[in-house]
Amino acid sequence: MDYLSTKYLRSRKIPSTACSGCGLGQCHKALVKAIDEVGFGINDIIWGTSIGCAGRQTYATWKGDSFAGTHGRVYAIARGLRLALPPEKKLVLSVGDGDAFGIGFNHLLHAVRTNTQMTVMVCDNLGYQSTGGQYGWTTPEGVVTDSSPYGMFEPNWVQSGRDVLAILREAGATFLARHVSMDGAVLVGTLKKALQNNGFSLVHVVYPCTTNFANTALGTRKPVTIFKWIKDRSAPLGKEKEDTLWRTGVYHDASNSRPEFSQLMREKVAEIHGRHEREGTD
Amino acid sequence: MKRYLETGNFAVAQAAIMAGCRAFAGYPITPATEIAESMSRLLPRVGGYYVQAEDETAAMHMAIGAALGGMKAMTATSGPGFILYADPYGWAIGCEIPLVVLNSQRVGPVSGITGAPGQGEFYLSRYVTQGGNFETIVLAPNTAQEAFQLTIEAFYLSERFRTPVTILADQLITDGWEDISIPETEQEKQAMGLRFAERRVNPGPIFYPPTDEIDIPPVVMGKNTGALCSDWTPTEEGYDIETVEAQHKHAYRLIYKIRNHRDIFSRYETLFLDDNPDIIVVAYGTPSRVVKTAVKQARQLGKKIGMIRPITLWPFPDELFQKKAIYLTVELNYDGQMVREVRRTVPCESAVHFLGKCGELPTVAELQETFDRLLEGKPLERRGWETEAW
Amino acid sequence: MKERIEILASGFGGQGVVRLGQIIGEAGVKQGLHVSMLKSHGTEMRGGYVRSQVVLSREIIDSPICESPDYFIALSLAAYQKFKDTVPEHGIIIYDPAFVEQVDKSLRCSHKAIPAKELSTENFDSPLFANSLVLGFVARLMDMLDRDLVLQSILEVMPKFHEQNREAFEMGYKYV
Repeated sequence: MDYLSTKYLRSRKIPSTACSGCGLGQCHKALVKAIDEVGFGINDIIWGTSIGCAGRQTYATWKGDSFAGTHGRVYAIARGLRLALPPEKKLVLSVGDGDAFGIGFNHLLHAVRTNTQMTVMVCDNLGYQSTGGQYGWTTPEGVVTDSSPYGMFEPNWVQSGRDVLAILREAGATFLARHVSMDGAVLVGTLKKALQNNGFSLVHVVYPCTTNFANTALGTRKPVTIFKWIKDRSAPLGKEKEDTLWRTGVYHDASNSRPEFSQLMREKVAEIHGRHEREGTD
Repeated sequence: MKRYLETGNFAVAQAAIMAGCRAFAGYPITPATEIAESMSRLLPRVGGYYVQAEDETAAMHMAIGAALGGMKAMTATSGPGFILYADPYGWAIGCEIPLVVLNSQRVGPVSGITGAPGQGEFYLSRYVTQGGNFETIVLAPNTAQEAFQLTIEAFYLSERFRTPVTILADQLITDGWEDISIPETEQEKQAMGLRFAERRVNPGPIFYPPTDEIDIPPVVMGKNTGALCSDWTPTEEGYDIETVEAQHKHAYRLIYKIRNHRDIFSRYETLFLDDNPDIIVVAYGTPSRVVKTAVKQARQLGKKIGMIRPITLWPFPDELFQKKAIYLTVELNYDGQMVREVRRTVPCESAVHFLGKCGELPTVAELQETFDRLLEGKPLERRGWETEAW
Repeated sequence: MKERIEILASGFGGQGVVRLGQIIGEAGVKQGLHVSMLKSHGTEMRGGYVRSQVVLSREIIDSPICESPDYFIALSLAAYQKFKDTVPEHGIIIYDPAFVEQVDKSLRCSHKAIPAKELSTENFDSPLFANSLVLGFVARLMDMLDRDLVLQSILEVMPKFHEQNREAFEMGYKYV
């Protein structure tokens, strides 16, 4: 166990339960490193997760408080929990692409609308991999999965002029970024910024699934192949090429520019409560 | 004591505040909307939060989130919203989160008739989520006053049993106006039999002991306890595990913490059972009030008729149905729901009949007619599905 | 007083039928009585009738339904036709001849007419105060209700025009 694991993670969950060669560890590690670099301790963070690879493998890894919601609902739980938590404690969610952009998308949008403090890391393995590898809402066009045997021909959220981050931006998100899990220190730097926004932050991180996605889409489980496949299709914002799928970097940083939801609620309630106590009226 | 002419919705909101509820997540739906409206007005006055969710699934999840953070929380809905509670309800049962849920039953299926009473969620309130391996506590008031008292009781039980508790009302209870007495002093609260329990915090590291014990504090996030809870089968510490041994312990706790402590919350009302009545009428919620008038009137007319009103609907009070008699179950649905439980629990030689209405109450006159037919040994007249012999 | 008094009020939507029931109920609560009031609305609102069923009792009220109303306040012909036969022999039907032009002579209960709409229009240039007139009339007919508490309830439930409502109530109370 390295320094970060010893400091922040539960020994019972090390090594991770993820498949060998899975890129989820890169995302997880980058987030823990960012937490450390910002200076948070284990009691400063409540860590929520969801269903699927990203949720299951990161649940109960954090030494402090950790919970896992049902599929897609963790954003709604987080919005309620945020009201009850002291403002200095921060919510961090590690979730999957199906959870955030499919089943939980409506709840995610309302978390965005209200600018509720949560740092959401969407760990995107390009489809539903824990159920064996079906296409999802970020599966690239043409890719063969177990439920797109003729190639993914349904429109996705990330190509042909659509970008799910653009929707979230319009909905009022105050921090949005996209990376691939191999981005290393750059990814850590972005996550640090995300953590320091007292509002809704989302970092979309594409990571390789060797067991299911790579096997079906690329015909091999060799980690090196899928790692290279993803890396080749990513480029920093402004340096994209024609075939770039994932432009990486910070898309939108309006950190701390809008009132955070629980803070707004606390202030409004304190105002009404005070007036009622003083004057007996609303 | 303060007296009001008000709706059941008002009574429930007052009760929730008195019980210490400081978070309510709502979604507008007839006939429970006024609870949300009342809470939006009352909660900020006492420093609490009202939030309106994007749908009922989110509403219950938000209430759960607040409860998970240590607040007493509630949500209220009607059938079409209650079905969307299935997902969060299961999570709250499995993670053992105290919470109060109210369902004001209207006419279904689906949207049906919005502003009329029904009783279509008798079984749904028991089998409220998928997967089995759990027991539920469901309380059914028949007046606004009782809705007030049972709302406070629901908060009390939810804390002691660390589980969601459902108040199964109907449209006439939440929308109907009645005189409501709200106690103000401690003595008045005690005289009314109100019980209160504070939220406590499970310190860990054992959050889910393999016992049927109650009064174990629930898991709370944000208290530096290393709290764990998830939708997966938990180890005693709350880690996710997929073994049948762990699942057995989990299921045992969820089922028997409730079944083995029924004496704490089992409530019912009976009338004229002591002289071996010829007919025993069974009803809950608003129809039970008409039944009560009819049974009292029948006694004056010399008919030997008794009545059982379960107030704790689930776990179902099997022990109340020991007498051999003709049973008549009166419900606000045409398919017959509680009657199946009555059929299951009565002595096997007893006949069980069903009188179903929906959207409106049965009348006293109609009930007298039904009593007479049964006393004469005639089968119930079939008018559509309104009456059915079992 | 009888163990239980049933008062049925019914008329069109927007006529203030629910509020009428509410005021009687409110007066009952002020007198320390148990009260229940069911209001029918929704689908019955269009073209049909709105109904409030008020029960007053010293005991806890079991059935909240007015199956044989001691008092039936009929504010529309449709409502009159629909419920007149439920009124028992000792019961009283209170009606406004503006809406119920002819009463059913075959009924064994009694009828009391109050031209509330007409009186309200004559005296206040508006039919708005018809219900306060009816309530004044009802307050005199129903000996179990305390007159002053009915008036007090009107003034509490009605947000505006307290002077006119008070006057209309008195006028209804004195109407023969």
